[in-house]
Amino acid sequence: MTAGMNERPAGPLRIALALFVAGLFALPLLWMLATSVKPVGEYMASPAALLPQAPTFEHYVAIGEARVGRAALNSVIVTVGATLLALLASFPAAYALARLRFHRRLDAAFLVFVLLVKLTPPIVLAVPLYQVLRTLGLLDTLLGLILVSQIYALPFAIWMLLGFIRDVPMALEEAARMDGARLPQVMRDILIPVLAPGLAATGVLVAIACWNEFLFAFLFVQSPANFTLPTFIATRINEDETLWGQLSAIGVLASLPVLALIGVVHRALSRGFASGMH
Amino acid sequence: MKPRLIVLLLAPALLLFALLTVYPLVRVLLLAFTATEHGFAEARFVGFENFVELQEGRAFRRAAWNTVAFALMATISELLLGLALALLLDRAFPGRRWITLVLLAPYVLSTIVVGAVWRAWFHYDIGFLNSVLRSIGLPGVPWLFDPNLALSSIVLVDVWQATPFCFLILYAGLRAIPPELHEAARMDGAGAWRRLRDVTLPLLAPYLLVAGLMRTVDSFKLFDKVYAMTGGGPGNATETLSMHVHRLAFRFFDIGLASAAALVMVVVAGLLAALYARQIMRPPA
Repeated sequence: MTAGMNERPAGPLRIALALFVAGLFALPLLWMLATSVKPVGEYMASPAALLPQAPTFEHYVAIGEARVGRAALNSVIVTVGATLLALLASFPAAYALARLRFHRRLDAAFLVFVLLVKLTPPIVLAVPLYQVLRTLGLLDTLLGLILVSQIYALPFAIWMLLGFIRDVPMALEEAARMDGARLPQVMRDILIPVLAPGLAATGVLVAIACWNEFLFAFLFVQSPANFTLPTFIATRINEDETLWGQLSAIGVLASLPVLALIGVVHRALSRGFASGMH
Repeated sequence: MKPRLIVLLLAPALLLFALLTVYPLVRVLLLAFTATEHGFAEARFVGFENFVELQEGRAFRRAAWNTVAFALMATISELLLGLALALLLDRAFPGRRWITLVLLAPYVLSTIVVGAVWRAWFHYDIGFLNSVLRSIGLPGVPWLFDPNLALSSIVLVDVWQATPFCFLILYAGLRAIPPELHEAARMDGAGAWRRLRDVTLPLLAPYLLVAGLMRTVDSFKLFDKVYAMTGGGPGNATETLSMHVHRLAFRFFDIGLASAAALVMVVVAGLLAALYARQIMRPPA
């Protein structure tokens, strides 16, 4: 916000245009929200109308009966599990990488590796991963999904935490070490409190990606009881327009948690943590 | 730090990485040169046979072409639109932060949700888009039914979802340009257009490149959006490389051929990575 000090103010035309464009981008979301509370007859009779005439919660009731709760719970379990595992495995690794002496060259190598993983299309790994999960007995389980999420979550988390840990001055740790504290203690009492905002931001970005993940859930989970929200929705996308209300209602439920965290994404993207979301 | 401690700290991450990324990649590399009778059993070495078969197959070439066409159309449109948005919002006004957040919303949503909404929007008879078109006296458009149009329609959805990403990256880049530079150019009598061409765009080049590469890479993986909207159809007009590999592996169980196609994808991804790494590792100007 400091940059705003000597920034030139916008004219009314520019403000109007900005509002118009924002409205255009928001339109599909508003449509989804409106359709989720419209009776079937209403959205089929006048598809271009946005405001609901006779709001109803019937679609939310219907998806409740179709056990959307189970899919939502599965999504929560996978997201929380995958995020915790990613943070637990990435934090020590990022710490070791950040405090290594020869970190310059390792840095470059590590960046290339993060990029390579990020660039590898998930479908490429799918066939061998199918075998790995089958061997481990984790096909068609939520634990299996938590595990395969790490392919993208882990490098991204390490990369983000690396930046945050480097910003913590060594002197802070050394003082505690002088008092005889051991590494786990230093981590718990000094590093983690100082890094809390960085850990939270990393966790949020990883969580959003896991919440939205589709391909692996689609390939490795067959039982409807283990569907996550994206796979649950995918089974309901078809030609039948009468289901748009229900589809929109699930869409709203699946979108609310990530929209609530949009501020964190905004900050991360503005600071250059550009990768990792899709 | 003692070496033993370093190994201990890195162990969990390395273990997961070896199991979930290195092993699968090596397997793909090996499987690409083998043929099997349905599934994984009894793989035998066949050299480059799979690649020859791929190269001769019309479906693979169509998928490769679709992927490239999609990546080009999507990346270029998103960069241009993102740039226009960044320039539009590069003036102070109350509520700008809120507009930025609204613009970002499509980007954080699940692609499957996005696909479901847009599939309804594209509906020929009662979709939102055609209803709006008809209400102003224009004919409806067969967005997803016309084989020549379906891919562009999916590009449109991608533009809606990912332009906000390009916008934010470029917006951050614009705000990093010292205002004095514009001031000086204005003093020299440079008009708005010349300042854009001679001051803004050159300084924005690294941001444009990073955003563009990132979008190219994501477009290259395209699966969810197509799956949700057309399933690859009509015919194979919107089948992408990811969908093609998926069909070979999980529908036809031709693991060797699927792995060969996957390997081609890895090689292209690797080339993009090299480009990208060179850009990122360049010391900041």
